[in-house]
Amino acid sequence: MPQEMIALLMFSTMLLLMMTGQRVFGIIGFVAVVAAVALWGTGGHTMGFSAGMKLMKWYPLLSLPMFVFMGYVMSESRLADDLYRMFHVWFGRVPGGLAIGTILLMVLISAMNGLSVAGMAIGSTIALPELLRRGYDKQMVTGTIQAGSSLGILIPPSVVLVLYAMIARAPVSELWLAGVIPGLVMAAFFILYIGIRSALQPHLAPPLSAAERAEITWGEKLSTLKAGLLPFMIFAAMMVPFIYGWTSLVESSVIGVATTVIAALVKRRFTAEVFEVATRNTLGISCMFMWVILAALAFGAVFDGLGAVKAIDSLFTEKMGLGPWTILILMQLSFLIMGMFLDDTAMLVIVAPLYVPLVARLDLGIPAEDVLIWYGVLYTMTCQIAYLTPPFGYNLFLMRAFAPPEITMGDIYRSVTPFVLVMLATLALIMAVPDIALWLPNTVYPN
Amino acid sequence: MTPLARPLPRPLIGFVRFTDRLNYGVGRFAMYLLFVLMAILMWSSISKVFFNPSLWTLEMTQFVMVAYYILGGPYAMQMGAHVRMDLFYAKQSVTRQAAWDAFTVFALIFYIAVLIWGAVDSLGYSLGLTWDGFWPEIGRLERSATAWRPYLWPIKLVMLIGFVLMLMQAISALIRDIATLRGEVI
Repeated sequence: MPQEMIALLMFSTMLLLMMTGQRVFGIIGFVAVVAAVALWGTGGHTMGFSAGMKLMKWYPLLSLPMFVFMGYVMSESRLADDLYRMFHVWFGRVPGGLAIGTILLMVLISAMNGLSVAGMAIGSTIALPELLRRGYDKQMVTGTIQAGSSLGILIPPSVVLVLYAMIARAPVSELWLAGVIPGLVMAAFFILYIGIRSALQPHLAPPLSAAERAEITWGEKLSTLKAGLLPFMIFAAMMVPFIYGWTSLVESSVIGVATTVIAALVKRRFTAEVFEVATRNTLGISCMFMWVILAALAFGAVFDGLGAVKAIDSLFTEKMGLGPWTILILMQLSFLIMGMFLDDTAMLVIVAPLYVPLVARLDLGIPAEDVLIWYGVLYTMTCQIAYLTPPFGYNLFLMRAFAPPEITMGDIYRSVTPFVLVMLATLALIMAVPDIALWLPNTVYPN
Repeated sequence: MTPLARPLPRPLIGFVRFTDRLNYGVGRFAMYLLFVLMAILMWSSISKVFFNPSLWTLEMTQFVMVAYYILGGPYAMQMGAHVRMDLFYAKQSVTRQAAWDAFTVFALIFYIAVLIWGAVDSLGYSLGLTWDGFWPEIGRLERSATAWRPYLWPIKLVMLIGFVLMLMQAISALIRDIATLRGEVI
């Protein structure tokens, strides 16, 4: 059997077996070790275990449990309540103002945490009930929270970019800086969309009533601004030592944890229950991630052994004669489609090792040392979209778990459509104008 | 479904209870390794800024991280934390889910069995084992190729133990599913 056929067979078997609902890591690992033993006999049987030793050396991944723990402490101790209140009093007067405030809240949470789960949990426990009570359209609300929380993986710190950095062998600090402006641009586009939509259809997102507005004094407005100090402090405590090179990425994430815990202690909200829930769920989520990555690394090693990347590359460039940009666009499209069906962690570790070397070989007219940084941003945005696209969007399921029963799965599916379009537009913009992503890292690290 | 005349054999039920209790204990221990990890990293950043950076922190954190997620894996399985692609799965009845799982869990068991196979070989290499008659003899011990040069067998042993515990947890899940199909509750 030719090698690209074996690769294709492995991939389709894996997708098919995943549909049975067995644990994802078991399925990926099963296909990987069966293929390894079938292809290389008793020499191949150690591939599963070797993946574990390789994973051990992925030092930056240690920041994963730290960010998960930090996110749980933040949402369980309701640290973001005051932040939400700040946006509420400042933006309540315009139509759609609370939804815009929610997006801004998500931007701040994204700057404190590297995953989208934290934003999701905070958004749906604080903003969701409040916005529904104020007569916001339920699709508007759920779409806003899901789209906003997905910014967590684009705005630094970002665990997805850490994973990408390990696969692409690119510096994490430059990747994080590259994510800043695209993340803010995307947030601005979300706000623009919400603003225009609410101006056209005010019944979807009613402003605060005159009586409520009269209740908010300037004194209160100013005093709520204090809440904004917290994310600034946490962000600075993590990023300043990291950018100056005093601490490594992982050490910075621990400083972030410490700052968050201290903030929760100062507010007297770090109870025994918060501690137990945060610690237990951190173990659960970290184990889920790590076992999937463990299995996917074995899968990737078999793919490498098959020379699947080279085979696909020659298929595109030589046999089909496609130009580099056509290939790039086709890759993003296939990535988006796969993102609809594949679990996001699995996608990260299976698709990225396949695509990253391919991008490095394409001649796109971008300097060689920049192209993988730029692609990291494209790749993360595609992951964000994949989080939101049915049928298998991670955020969709989380939303279902957090939302009250009157919000159906259909509501959730429909609610993301406009936001996915906005995200696709941003993605296209970053593809067309790479400097949006590359300007900041090239300014900070001129080479 | 009506209960069958004969219940599941007692040793099987005993195995499920033993495994669940064991893995709960091991998992709770692994859970707190998170704070060991934080402590080492804190020490590492402090020592880097104020004294000479320590040699041992980097690899020590890597070892602790491996122990954290490998030993915590079975407990995470008890919690139901390992994701499933549940588009179709979630819509089935409890017995249908048990029937599917009792079948597909063999993929998981196979994977873990191969992991154990690899771990045994690799551990043997780290200990430099040679088989002289019945008893193995320990030879040259494998060390990590870094300045600190730690021995590698302890972490491989931890991984092996974790994989065995995971295998036990998967078999325990299988027995539970069979019990569900027979209308019993363990």
